[in-house]
Amino acid sequence: MSPATARQIMSPALSDSRDTRADPSLRQKVLIRQVDFFYGAFQALKNITMALHDKRVTAFIGPSGCGKSTLLRVLNRIYELYPGQRATGEVIVDGENILAPGLDLNLLRARIGMVFQKPTPFPMSIYDNVAFGIRLYERLPNHELDDRVESALRRAALWGEVRDKLRQSGLGLSGGQQQRLCIARAVAVQPEILLLDEPASALDPISTQRIEELIAELKEDYCIAIVTHNMQQAARSSDYTAFMYLGELIEFDETERIFTHPKQKHTEDYITGRFG
Amino acid sequence: MASEHITKAYDEELRRLSNTVAEMGGLAESQLGSAIEAVATRDTEVAGRVIEGDANIDQAERDVDNLAIRLLALRQPVARDLREIFAALKIASDLERIGDYASNVAKRSIALSQTPPVRPVYALPRMAQFAQLQIKDVLDAYVQRDAEKAYSVWLRDAELDEMYSSLFRELLTYMMEDPRSIGSCTHLLFMAKNIERIGDHATNIAENLYYLVNGTPLEQVRPKGDVSSLEIVTPDGARS
Repeated sequence: MSPATARQIMSPALSDSRDTRADPSLRQKVLIRQVDFFYGAFQALKNITMALHDKRVTAFIGPSGCGKSTLLRVLNRIYELYPGQRATGEVIVDGENILAPGLDLNLLRARIGMVFQKPTPFPMSIYDNVAFGIRLYERLPNHELDDRVESALRRAALWGEVRDKLRQSGLGLSGGQQQRLCIARAVAVQPEILLLDEPASALDPISTQRIEELIAELKEDYCIAIVTHNMQQAARSSDYTAFMYLGELIEFDETERIFTHPKQKHTEDYITGRFG
Repeated sequence: MASEHITKAYDEELRRLSNTVAEMGGLAESQLGSAIEAVATRDTEVAGRVIEGDANIDQAERDVDNLAIRLLALRQPVARDLREIFAALKIASDLERIGDYASNVAKRSIALSQTPPVRPVYALPRMAQFAQLQIKDVLDAYVQRDAEKAYSVWLRDAELDEMYSSLFRELLTYMMEDPRSIGSCTHLLFMAKNIERIGDHATNIAENLYYLVNGTPLEQVRPKGDVSSLEIVTPDGARS
């Protein structure tokens, strides 16, 4: 057995993909090691081990209750807002275990940003929505803040639509625009990693495609994880796909491989609609 | 066999696609059989029916195309489902070519039956029956989704190639010995080539079936037994 084969068998999710061999600068930004998660006594995640690659999109798919959103919430420890929820194992970002106690959670959540399914603009102006996070972490002179807000709105492909109404309320935007505002808010604090939990589920098809196009642009600069119940979206938007079921990671591979010739029958049954 | 889709209509549509390919294969096999009969019995009526019957195979290919396009557009198939549809399209295309070659053999048999029979004509049906068996076996493999069976069809093509090479030499020798036979022998040469090409299309079908079942292509280089394109046959029968 060759060393490469041995690596593949022992930890398929962590071995080099064709991608990594082709591009040595491609690296694993987030290493998830043997993560378990509990809602009280209920174990929602079982021994999850996999990696998120930098400047790539990793999609999580699986039926309701499989643990994909739970896993996302472990990555920026947002579960800690709720009592009775705990994670064990390690999540290594740039060599540092972010599940370790004593970590500054606010700083963590600036490094690892999150966007939710239902757009959640704050009840304030578009400008203030984006500036809110920046003001939390940095003290900037006004013109610099203006630049950062504009830059974030441009990154979120929203600047052209809102540049003349920055003082208007964020709540007055359409659903698709609100979601892009939330993305602008997330990128404004200059994160390294973006976690998107069903970012387009509440949006119409055109807005969905705009978000997908935005994700394709954003991945040039960020490590992106996206949870989606829409398999075609996972197929279109991601470079890697992880299939989860009942808290376990069933298969993780390059998206092209998952959707043309998955290794696990379970995966194939799910993506071809042979079970719910 | 794979389990059923939650959406029953999807399964029905895939089955319909698969059945249409299988029926098309049956037609092609039977066309070749009738073409052989026309050659062996010099029966121009049988030949005529083969020529007309080719239209049914062409229509079947259009049916497969339409079913496949519909499935692709409406079902967004992935993984094995996608490979099923992809394979159906490619196999139908190979079957259509097989039908054309069988029809060509029938056409030429009409010309052949208007001149006295020449000795090499007796070798042709044997070669054609081998090709017919290849088609039958690869279609059985398709219906059963049996990649092993497909692989053995793929390997046996080398025998058909050898038969063709041998017939090629025999025909050239015969023509050199008796120039009056050149007309008939030239028809036979084309017919033999058509049958050899039928064999190649059967191996294409085998390769596509292998890919359908396994998700990876049959990568080995197929042993090719046809050396006729590299040969020179001289009057004294020596090969160079």
